[in-house]
Amino acid sequence: MVEIDWKGLILPFSYIGVLLGSLITFSSLYRKRKAAASATLAPWFPPHLQRNIYHSLSYLAPEEGKEKAPVVPESVVRAALLRRAVEDIHRIIQVRSAKNACSVLLQRGSVGDDLWQRFQRAEKEMEEELRDVVMEANALTPNWGQTIFQSANEIAANTVLRKRLDEIQAQTESEKAWWDKRRESIQGEFLKELEKKA
Amino acid sequence: MEDAETFTLLPIHLDPTSKAIKTTSKSRALNQELDTLNALHRTLLTLDSPIPPPPVPVNPKRSGQITKLRESGNAEFRKGKHVEAIRYYTLGLQMALTRPLWEPSGLVRDEVAGLYANRAQAHMAKSSWAEGSIDAEASVEAKKAGNAKAWWRKAKCLMEMGRLEEAKEWVGRGLELEGNEADLVALLKEIDQKKKN
Repeated sequence: MVEIDWKGLILPFSYIGVLLGSLITFSSLYRKRKAAASATLAPWFPPHLQRNIYHSLSYLAPEEGKEKAPVVPESVVRAALLRRAVEDIHRIIQVRSAKNACSVLLQRGSVGDDLWQRFQRAEKEMEEELRDVVMEANALTPNWGQTIFQSANEIAANTVLRKRLDEIQAQTESEKAWWDKRRESIQGEFLKELEKKA
Repeated sequence: MEDAETFTLLPIHLDPTSKAIKTTSKSRALNQELDTLNALHRTLLTLDSPIPPPPVPVNPKRSGQITKLRESGNAEFRKGKHVEAIRYYTLGLQMALTRPLWEPSGLVRDEVAGLYANRAQAHMAKSSWAEGSIDAEASVEAKKAGNAKAWWRKAKCLMEMGRLEEAKEWVGRGLELEGNEADLVALLKEIDQKKKN
């Protein structure tokens, strides 16, 4: 029979105990913090104004002196849904163009994990949002779901183009004023030179 | 964005007579968005169908009118009546830019690129270099590739105004997109010559 020297083993056992204890505390604390952090991650996009308007239309407050809420014409609801789809197009474009950059930066370790998580959440939300818009569109007008995003895409592109063109055309007056002044000064110098020669 | 299940209730209401959506909030973004929404609603009401038609096929009526205005402008330009030509091109541009927003943007780009380029040419014929330069820039903005004329006109106007550095930059950018377009190369030489003097 081998006598076990319990007293001599106290030291190694307490060592293992302390080690395991600290590991467990660390792991549970770490996980809790991570979960809390992902729950409070800042959203990728600002609040979806168009979506809020669209939904608010169904909950309009009744006017003063009246009990029932006013009935919103369907045409207004359709316009609001179309505006919502246009904003979604802007967001899809942002998500698509950010995706490559984000994944490359993540691989290089230039950005943290939480950015990637925020991004993936935004991507998933966009998918749900698109499905929702298509469903609402089909409910308003049969088969509208098939074309609403085509129309929204053109509206988005057209708006950007017109804004750019307006910006360029807005410079006309200042450019013209600059050139008139400049031409005068050139002419003035030219006349002076002529006088000198004469 | 919020969850799919929730949304923020906004302080908006329906104007009973005009059917426009109004708000009591002072938020600029909200007011702006409601203006856009009401404008879109009004254009939707002018349609025969409850929803905007798909982008293609395009109703050929407006395209026909735009082409006609451009051709009238071209005819006036050939007769040497530059002011008249500019007037026709401007009308054409108005037509093209007031196309309903859901019609194909590629089509709008093509149309306005041509009209702006032509109007730039008419301005240049009057030696209005500033206006010509702006119109040429707008044309390039609408259509970057395959628009060598507009690149050339922009650079030419800048050169005429004595802005050689900028002119050279525009020719450079034009050459990048258009390959070795003979006119652009010739203009580049001209600019370089002027810079030496």
